[in-house]
Amino acid sequence: MKTRKSIWLAMFLLVSVLLAFGATRSGGPQTQQDRIDLVTSHLACPTCSGESVFVSRASAAEAIRTEVARQVGAGIRTDDEIISYIEQRFGSEVLLVPRSTGLDSLVWSLPAAVLIIALSLLVSAFARWGRRTPGAPSVADEALVKNALAESTRVGDES
Amino acid sequence: MGSKYLVKIVSSVVALVLVSLLWVLIVSKPSDGQVARSPLLGQPAPAIVTATIDDQPFDLQRRKGSWVVFNFFNSTCVPCINEHDLLVDFAKREATSDNGAELYTVVNDDSDDAVRNFFTKNGGDWAKLKDENGAIAVAFGVARVPETWVIDPNGLVRIRVTGELSEGLLEAQLDKLREEFTS
Amino acid sequence: MFASAGITGTIGRALLLVGFIGSVFGAFAAITGVRTNEPRVIRLVSRFAILAFVAALGAFAVMEYAMITRDFSLAYVQKVGSWSTPALYNFAAVWSALEGSILMWVLILAGYTLAVCFWMRKRLSESLAASAMAVMMIVLAFFFLVSFFPANPFAPGAPGVLDGPGPNPLLQNHILVMFHPPILYLGYVGVTVPFAFAIAALVTGRVGEGWLVATRRWSLFAWGFLTFGIALGSWWSYEVLGWSGVWAWDPVENASLLPWITGTAYIHSVLVQERRGMLRVWNISLLVATFSLTILGTFLTRSGVLNSVHAFSESGIGAWFLSFFAVVLVVSVFLIGWRGDKLRSPGIIDSPLSREAAFLANNVIFAVFAFVVLLGTVFPLIIEALQNRQIAVGEPFFDRLTVPIGIALLTLMSIAPVLPWRKASAETLQTRLFWPMWSGIAALVASLALGAYGLAPLLTFTLGGVSGGAALRQVILATRRQGLRGLVGRANGGMIVHLGVILIAVALGASNSYSKSQELSLVAGVPATFAGHSFELTDVIEVRDDRSVSVKARVIVDGDKTYEPAITKYTRIGMNVGTPSVKASLTSDIYLTLEPPVRQDSNTARIKVFIKPMITWLWIGTMLMAVGTFLAAFPGRRRRPTDATSAPVLVAEKI
Repeated sequence: MKTRKSIWLAMFLLVSVLLAFGATRSGGPQTQQDRIDLVTSHLACPTCSGESVFVSRASAAEAIRTEVARQVGAGIRTDDEIISYIEQRFGSEVLLVPRSTGLDSLVWSLPAAVLIIALSLLVSAFARWGRRTPGAPSVADEALVKNALAESTRVGDES
Repeated sequence: MGSKYLVKIVSSVVALVLVSLLWVLIVSKPSDGQVARSPLLGQPAPAIVTATIDDQPFDLQRRKGSWVVFNFFNSTCVPCINEHDLLVDFAKREATSDNGAELYTVVNDDSDDAVRNFFTKNGGDWAKLKDENGAIAVAFGVARVPETWVIDPNGLVRIRVTGELSEGLLEAQLDKLREEFTS
Repeated sequence: MFASAGITGTIGRALLLVGFIGSVFGAFAAITGVRTNEPRVIRLVSRFAILAFVAALGAFAVMEYAMITRDFSLAYVQKVGSWSTPALYNFAAVWSALEGSILMWVLILAGYTLAVCFWMRKRLSESLAASAMAVMMIVLAFFFLVSFFPANPFAPGAPGVLDGPGPNPLLQNHILVMFHPPILYLGYVGVTVPFAFAIAALVTGRVGEGWLVATRRWSLFAWGFLTFGIALGSWWSYEVLGWSGVWAWDPVENASLLPWITGTAYIHSVLVQERRGMLRVWNISLLVATFSLTILGTFLTRSGVLNSVHAFSESGIGAWFLSFFAVVLVVSVFLIGWRGDKLRSPGIIDSPLSREAAFLANNVIFAVFAFVVLLGTVFPLIIEALQNRQIAVGEPFFDRLTVPIGIALLTLMSIAPVLPWRKASAETLQTRLFWPMWSGIAALVASLALGAYGLAPLLTFTLGGVSGGAALRQVILATRRQGLRGLVGRANGGMIVHLGVILIAVALGASNSYSKSQELSLVAGVPATFAGHSFELTDVIEVRDDRSVSVKARVIVDGDKTYEPAITKYTRIGMNVGTPSVKASLTSDIYLTLEPPVRQDSNTARIKVFIKPMITWLWIGTMLMAVGTFLAAFPGRRRRPTDATSAPVLVAEKI
């Protein structure tokens, strides 16, 4: 048993180390096109319902893509500054990531709240069920089990 | 899972959410043709250098000293078609007054031919400006047409109207601006 | 009412009225038949079902006839018909807009109603079956009514119109438009069948496992088609829309995903009810949620509220669907509350480490998943209604929240198949998960060796390896014991579906994290390179036909075949549509689009190249899911739900 446990411990350790190594690795330098794609993925096309500028083929989206490409090419502004520039002109409707202030933050906090409530309900349900101690088996019960074990020809099916 | 109270609580929550959703949807009123905010208001207008659909050059800088009205337009957009006659009347009024405003149509995602045909059929002889790659629309932050912008003789953006114009709205706003400007 | 319509329109609309009356009377007959047990009344139910189906089929045929003959007296044909649309796309144009797609819904629902009636033909005197028929007839009556009034496809059009613009150009350039909507609807509408039986169970008080077991294949059928329909939609998005992705989290996609989420939870959770009679409230709630979400989804996408919340008060169709949604929810919740006592299960979940507990956790995770997607979709609506400003909730929000959910689901998929019922010990788990764990480590090492990076995709690959190992282990054990029969049946077919899901998860992880793109300005004859591939423009050609003008750039990729990304202008509508060209392979796809502006006479072209890793695995995973669903429909070795858990397993049962 101990070797089993230590093998499992070793496996988890191996996975963690490999994951840590891979998580901190990067996939090469970020090209200009990567930057453009990243910025346009965080801007909403103003004439669509929730599509990003990166996805949408609408004319307003193409115009914004051209502008973003121009600014990325000019290399003066950072990603956040470019997003602010577009937001200043089109309004906050063009931000694809809802802000974390005011009423908008509900879209982040509600899922978190739901998850916490769901998990606590689950945990409390298991605790409640675990507390129910089953009564001691009766003599008849024991005989029943003995017979059933003797009769069964098949080891437990898994399906 | 069998708590009767849990089921009752869930049903009440569901009912509450439904009722509020319905209320919210029914109560909301559409808004249209309104004077809107923009971070450009009171700021110098973006530099606009382009050409008309008849290939005449246009430079916003050289229009300083006049009131300039930009109308972002698309020949298939229904509110644009609806407000067209109001713009024709507006252009006529401004043409006959001194220091009249200059009206320009900015073509938004439309072909020059379609725009030309529309104006031939429906009148309106003011200049229509091409918008390469939608750069002018992006500079002003115009996503939906129609939109109407007013720029004063000093080149500052003064008014933004989103949606279809209502009768007299543009004239009233412009007159108010003129008063403030001369005083 | 019928005065100003032409002959075709009148016949069509009259058929809709006949269908409505037939379904209303069918519902009455079913309810009365249960009460009075008169065989004559019960026979009427099937007669009315046939009548409703014939009326629906007739109305659909009339619509197709009008579309094929370009009968422009109908407003709908004026909207989406055109002389210049090719025959195939013209046929599909019937379901390209609101009125026609509701008509298709009516047809499919009438078909399902007749099928259920036929399946239950010997048992229509039973209260459960008759009540289920009544529910189906009521839903059918609603849709007939919607098609008769607000979404009337046979409304007369303006006089003197000789031609129309045709359907949206995006619906005219890929054959998928023939398959994706009908297949999706077969899934969407099919959910009505188990829902009807659930409501019937609540109404009649027979909330045991009978209705569940009986409708198992119907649920699987509907779920399978819904899954396949959604996958086809992603494929269409990839092949046609030109942004190189498969899923954009836009409201129409979310509307189809929401019932899939709760439906998937449902088909898993029913296993617990069959085995141990537990989770009854969960199952009925999930089924009610699935059906309601199909109605809510239709409301969201058809009422226009998502473009502007104010569209709701302007068009009539939104109010109909919202009211129906409200009625469905209120009635269902009331019924569940009323039958609360009967729904209480006799057993409890003994241990957190058991298959029942895993399915319960599954339900919870899927419920949170559905909540997140629903919240993200309707949140802009709520903000606009409350504060009169527009906001957007898009991909960054959904990705941030659904990636952890997906990883949690993959974890559950690794453990649940090896968990025994009732209670598991740590030793059991350690033994059964030993080789799956090693396959997970192998997957991690392999992906690191191939250059993968980033915590979320690496976790996805690792867990994909573990869950793939767990699923394969099941299938191998089953085939070892039963030969080829080890591949069929719910458990084994389900494992094959899981394998498909794992392939899809891994493919999504790779393509979402490692796609690269680059814009290239090509001059004819001068090759350019990107990501180890060469692209050479040969020329730019123009192709005209009577509905469009296409400018195509011919590009030789890797010195081998020519690909032709294009921009097509549909002259009647004045809309430009970009068509991508894709070089698919098992490792990665090379995706080419032509960027405007483009001129036919110049020998230069600006193309955008996307390198999309592992996209083909998405389609392979989908096919595996389809195969697995088909295999799962076969009767496998199952215990009867009323047997003790230790009873010997019976061979194939007929339902």
